[in-house]
Amino acid sequence: MFLRTRPGRYRTGGALVAGIVTSTLLLAGCTGGSSKDTSTSDASGATITVFNGSTGTITENFNPFSTTALQPTLGVIFEPLYWYNLASDADPTPLLATGYEWNADGTQLTIHTREGVTWSDGEPFSAADVAFTFNLVADTPALNTTGLAATAEATDASTVVLTFAEPSFMQEPNVLGNRAIVPEHIWKDVADPVTEINSEPVGTGAFSVESFSSQSYMLQANPGYWGGEPAVKHVRYVALDSADAASAALVAGDVDWMSAFLPGLDDIISTNPDLGYVNTPALTASIFTCSDAAAGCAGPQTDPAVRQAIYYALNRDQLNKLAGGGFAGTASPTLLLPERDADWIADPDDVEAPASADTEKAADLLDAAGWVEGSDGIRTKDGERLSMTIQTVTGWSDFISLNDAMTQQLAEVGIELKPSQVSWNEWNDAQLSGKFQLSLDSIGLGASSNPFFTYDKWYNSANTVPVGENAIAGNASRFSDPAVDAALAVARSTDDEAVQAEQYAIIQDVITEQLPYIPIYVNSMLTEFNNSRATGWPTDEDKYAMPASWKAWDNGIVLKTIKPTN
Amino acid sequence: MRYILQKLGFYAVALWAALTLNFFIPRLMPGNPVDIMVSKLATKGPVTADTRAAIAAMLGTDTQAPLWQQYVDYLHALVSGDLGTSVAYFPASVNEIIGQTLPWTIGLIGISTVISFLVGVGLGTFAGWKRGSWVDNLIPFTTMLQSVPYFWLALLLLFFFGSVWPVFPLNGGYDVYTFAGPELSWGFISSVLYHGALPALTIVISSIGGWMLGMRNMMVSTLSEDYILTAEAKGLRPGRVRAAYASRNAVLPSIAGFAISLGFVVAGSIVTEAVFSYPGIGSALLMAVNSNDYSLMQGIFLVITLAVLGANLLVDLLYGVIDPRTRARS
Repeated sequence: MFLRTRPGRYRTGGALVAGIVTSTLLLAGCTGGSSKDTSTSDASGATITVFNGSTGTITENFNPFSTTALQPTLGVIFEPLYWYNLASDADPTPLLATGYEWNADGTQLTIHTREGVTWSDGEPFSAADVAFTFNLVADTPALNTTGLAATAEATDASTVVLTFAEPSFMQEPNVLGNRAIVPEHIWKDVADPVTEINSEPVGTGAFSVESFSSQSYMLQANPGYWGGEPAVKHVRYVALDSADAASAALVAGDVDWMSAFLPGLDDIISTNPDLGYVNTPALTASIFTCSDAAAGCAGPQTDPAVRQAIYYALNRDQLNKLAGGGFAGTASPTLLLPERDADWIADPDDVEAPASADTEKAADLLDAAGWVEGSDGIRTKDGERLSMTIQTVTGWSDFISLNDAMTQQLAEVGIELKPSQVSWNEWNDAQLSGKFQLSLDSIGLGASSNPFFTYDKWYNSANTVPVGENAIAGNASRFSDPAVDAALAVARSTDDEAVQAEQYAIIQDVITEQLPYIPIYVNSMLTEFNNSRATGWPTDEDKYAMPASWKAWDNGIVLKTIKPTN
Repeated sequence: MRYILQKLGFYAVALWAALTLNFFIPRLMPGNPVDIMVSKLATKGPVTADTRAAIAAMLGTDTQAPLWQQYVDYLHALVSGDLGTSVAYFPASVNEIIGQTLPWTIGLIGISTVISFLVGVGLGTFAGWKRGSWVDNLIPFTTMLQSVPYFWLALLLLFFFGSVWPVFPLNGGYDVYTFAGPELSWGFISSVLYHGALPALTIVISSIGGWMLGMRNMMVSTLSEDYILTAEAKGLRPGRVRAAYASRNAVLPSIAGFAISLGFVVAGSIVTEAVFSYPGIGSALLMAVNSNDYSLMQGIFLVITLAVLGANLLVDLLYGVIDPRTRARS
């Protein structure tokens, strides 16, 4: 499962293996005619095969409340009220709901549910199911991963009212878009909803389970789906253990849809006319710094001038070529996505991080802060060398290349980086407990494209703890700033986007100055398709959903949109 | 009888020591399962402070309890056959995961280890008996294959026989495109054999050299013993001299080695399973380690421990039969 820790980015064990894989793919590509035909089991060609990152043995778990549920449980079999497309800045798409409104102080959310929806066992869906779902979550602490504190009541067959204890505008994406609705007539009899594996799931989604084994499972189209039966009739999910296996399976035509970083992707695509790919950079690769000396962080990176100098000394174009395969997107110092979130970024200068290095500016910043060049080219201040350890995970080859390239780039301004590679567990533990100086990681996706979720998680001082305790809520940098906290409190209490934008401008002023997370680039997220059995996959022009094959909720949209080829 | 009891007593102590280590070693790793699960969730979507509480409640892991109490609970659960619930595969139980994966590993790696041993020892006997024959000349070649890193050899074979000439399938334990799940049919069994052929071949190729070389050299030194000369002088048939006099004595070190390699069948399968995406216990162990899944790790280590101890016990007893000297001394 460690492969899944950074979804969609599979890494090969070393340069040797990577070399073999590349040549495997190239040669296999040249002998494309020998690809074996795998659609024998289904002559109509309406079966597509998905690799979503499962490795080894698959255990049955279609419980939509479970954090280890099989990925198609969310979005494909069970549906939420609304669907948030994080690949664009579009408004949420109504699924099981048709409308919602808040009361003025944000304590009551009224949801209008869709009519004419049936569960896959034929029973009608109603607002009572929605109310049941939210009450079940609120009443069961072990299911309540989003801290939902609401009581739900179905006032009529198609209206649900959720009552919150405090103003909860920011619960909106979690309530509407991140909660699978379950049928009351089945789940009221479930003895323990926490450990239930729900082997015959009854949902409202476009597909239902056809068969399951520990090595693959099959979904079939739901003929009674409220949006019309999907054109693809069967979807098979398979498990593969490594990036090598996945790429070989893709080239052989065994897999139709997968997300992985493949070395030499353009060569593979050009020799296999059936294959295509789309790149949706979404996760910002950043240098996490342990920034707050007051919280117990130690090292030169606690000086904001050092963090700014690093920010300006990076040659991001070169890093993208050397480590990102040229697929990475441009990052923003505001930690938002320049393409999707441009409207939320107050200062046009903050939309994109500089592409090339500005060593003069970096040197000036360090000079002004009192870091003077020592005899070995590394700066010192009061006897402390400007030298920091940067940690990343063994086997994350692109991050390891990043570290090596940055070490050289930063040496030019007198900063010494000491890269270290540790196991995932150790890396994660160091980052959570604050026992690191610099750490390479990615800024993940929020619940919606509203910047609140990024800013609250990474910058709110309520989400951090002193070094030594685990910063589980997100703020690993130990960053703390009263202006940011105040702005977040205001943004939380309103659903007026204009007011929120003003607050985010305050936050952006602080964080682009302080840079507790130094953005490098937006990492590529490559998704490969085989067009010979189905078409209509998301493209660069039409990102109607996040295309990654591991992305919950979006999968359901993609699978009901694609059409089999004849 | 006293010999057997002594052996059993020794194995009981070894088992206890192994189980205790098994308990402590995973807990010395950095991190704990709840934090790891939260971090993994965080890469997929938003998590809040409540997530941690929810997951701790869900897993029922009380990592704050004193270590000695966890130890007592652990021993108690082991005795009652309950290996606990897996964190990585929640809510599946460890017994379930092991039950699902172990047959694949034993089937593939166990059988190929046995084949490799039998063929290797057989060829080694022959090579030692007839020095300078073609079998003898095979030995440098097979030992060279053994010194090639296993994953490299496996990748090369997969590349040539899976991609360039698609003779064998690329991955999996059976054809998931034809069979929805394991079933008892000739088609399914042949699919399993077909998918297992290439991984098994790589294991045999990469391990046969050691058996051959060891057996051949032991044969050579045994053949120069006086009792062989006596047997030949008595006019015994060459076949009988080879089997009852030479190879029975020469095989002893190989059998000891075989016991150890049988024990490591379970542990040594990680690379094979990774290269061929084989659904065995090795990938479950990897997953367990990466998720700090104590219960699953302990469960799998328990299986490994039992396999190693069991194989050693069996060989110890077998040794008593083959080699009377070990009995006499006790």
